[in-house]
Amino acid sequence: MSIQYKTIAELRSMLDSKAISSKEIVEETYKLIDENNDLNAFITLNKEAAIAKSIEIENSPVKSALHGIPIAQKDLFCTKNLRTTCGSNILSNFIPPYSATVIENLENAGCISVGKTNMDEFAMGSSNETSFFGGVRNPWGQNLVPGGSSGGSASAVAAGLVPAATGTDTGGSIRQPASLCGITGLKPTYGRISRWGMIAFASSLDQAGPMARTAEDCAIMLNEMCSHDAKDTTSLSEDVPNFTKDLDSSIKGLKIGIVKEFDMSQLDTDVVSVFEESKKHYESLGAEFIEVSLPNISLSVPAYYVVAPAECSSNLSRFDGVKFGHRSKDPINLEELYIKTRSEGFGDEVKRRILIGSYVLSAGFYDAYYKKAQQVRRLIKNDFDSAFKKVDVIMSPTTRGAAFETGSKGSDPIQMYLEDLFTIPANLAGLPAMSLPNGMVNNKPIGLQLIGNFLDEKKILQVAHSFQKSTDWHLKTPKGTKLS
Amino acid sequence: MDKKTVANIAYLSRLKLNSDNEEKITSDLENIIKFVDQLDDVNVENIAPLTSPLEKTAKTRSDEVTAKNRKDVFLERAPKSNEDYFLVPRVVE
Repeated sequence: MSIQYKTIAELRSMLDSKAISSKEIVEETYKLIDENNDLNAFITLNKEAAIAKSIEIENSPVKSALHGIPIAQKDLFCTKNLRTTCGSNILSNFIPPYSATVIENLENAGCISVGKTNMDEFAMGSSNETSFFGGVRNPWGQNLVPGGSSGGSASAVAAGLVPAATGTDTGGSIRQPASLCGITGLKPTYGRISRWGMIAFASSLDQAGPMARTAEDCAIMLNEMCSHDAKDTTSLSEDVPNFTKDLDSSIKGLKIGIVKEFDMSQLDTDVVSVFEESKKHYESLGAEFIEVSLPNISLSVPAYYVVAPAECSSNLSRFDGVKFGHRSKDPINLEELYIKTRSEGFGDEVKRRILIGSYVLSAGFYDAYYKKAQQVRRLIKNDFDSAFKKVDVIMSPTTRGAAFETGSKGSDPIQMYLEDLFTIPANLAGLPAMSLPNGMVNNKPIGLQLIGNFLDEKKILQVAHSFQKSTDWHLKTPKGTKLS
Repeated sequence: MDKKTVANIAYLSRLKLNSDNEEKITSDLENIIKFVDQLDDVNVENIAPLTSPLEKTAKTRSDEVTAKNRKDVFLERAPKSNEDYFLVPRVVE
């Protein structure tokens, strides 16, 4: 029985009716991964332990909807005794002695971690081309990038190898690849999911989240991923709602904000018409559109490229070849040990960002760059606060276009940075946001972004679910439309 | 952004650029800094910096030792160690 392209909810009912066993699902998953090896979606597989767990839990009471379900984990989360590289040469031999809280939460819920997915090095990239382990292919086309940084997770879900995967999102790293691969992905409110055991990139922006075929599956994942964690001082202690409950609620009367300052004239006409179609569809479901103004939104990308590199240069100072990871051979002294190890271990994009960070934090420049960017960050957050007084959610395209070809962004890093134009604002403001498939452009999928108010994941999941109940964009696969 | 500035920030970052990528990285950094210079024109008078979206005081916990000593587990992952220490090239002559 093929399990390719099945959702968590579908696999759950197959398991509950004993149509298939968890061991069979896991074995079938590895067969699919093997057959689709050319995607390069995984860096490390966890085959022996995964099969052992599938046998072990077969006769234990079902703990959650994820019990016995195979999940792929982004290689940015520490996994106990399973290699964790963060897509980098500097961690290519690192085997963590502990697991991230979010991994523990998922595994305690009964999910089976089948492997670690490929990603842009240290999550710095929007095409998966910066991975030390090679680029990932988008299953929708031979030379297409899957987006990034969670490109391996997006590709694995889009190819139907696993029903869901974990991702992380610092400036769009869940939503942009979800859009380019035709899947659904959610970045929760900053602080909803513990960052303990996540390899840090930009600590005030990083947030883990689910990537799956449907909003319903994202809700199932989120139920298990969120928790208050005393080990992360930024972990929220607010109650975690049941995200799958009331998912079917009507969106009649819902107020959706359209951002006046998002300049649609710069997008492909096809992307604009897909977006307009989605607006019409939401209107037919009873939603109302209201224009909102976010006057400082155009400053999001420049503010981000000060804040994120500053935090990255500080976070990545821990990789020095002393306690773990790669160490350069035969350094003549301690300083050379640091310099050679880091120069050999990091790729060009990571080096670029560390250098920008060191520059904007250096004496004499701190106020002009770092402090200023954080002040602008507050202006952007204030804009969102005012907008959410008028609307329930804010809607935009997730990306400027569909998946692009490998190498096509050339060598200008700013062109790649602008990939995250629509996604970065939610990270700066700490707001929950998701991407769901809403159309095709030149036979390639594209996504719709929904941004929610603080802690309002439940609302955006309901709004996405109502769309998926009445459209079939999320059922499209590279092999044709799936029967629901 | 000139070569001297780049050499200085590279040293602060404990990175060495090689001759193949030095020029490219210098011009990339120049372009990126020009790009973020858009922030110059914004009036941020009396605006407090936002360092974290949460703006909450970190929660404290009771001051109890909860971590177990797992010295061996951590030392065995080091590129070079002995029974008690991470080993690095000699610092004091």
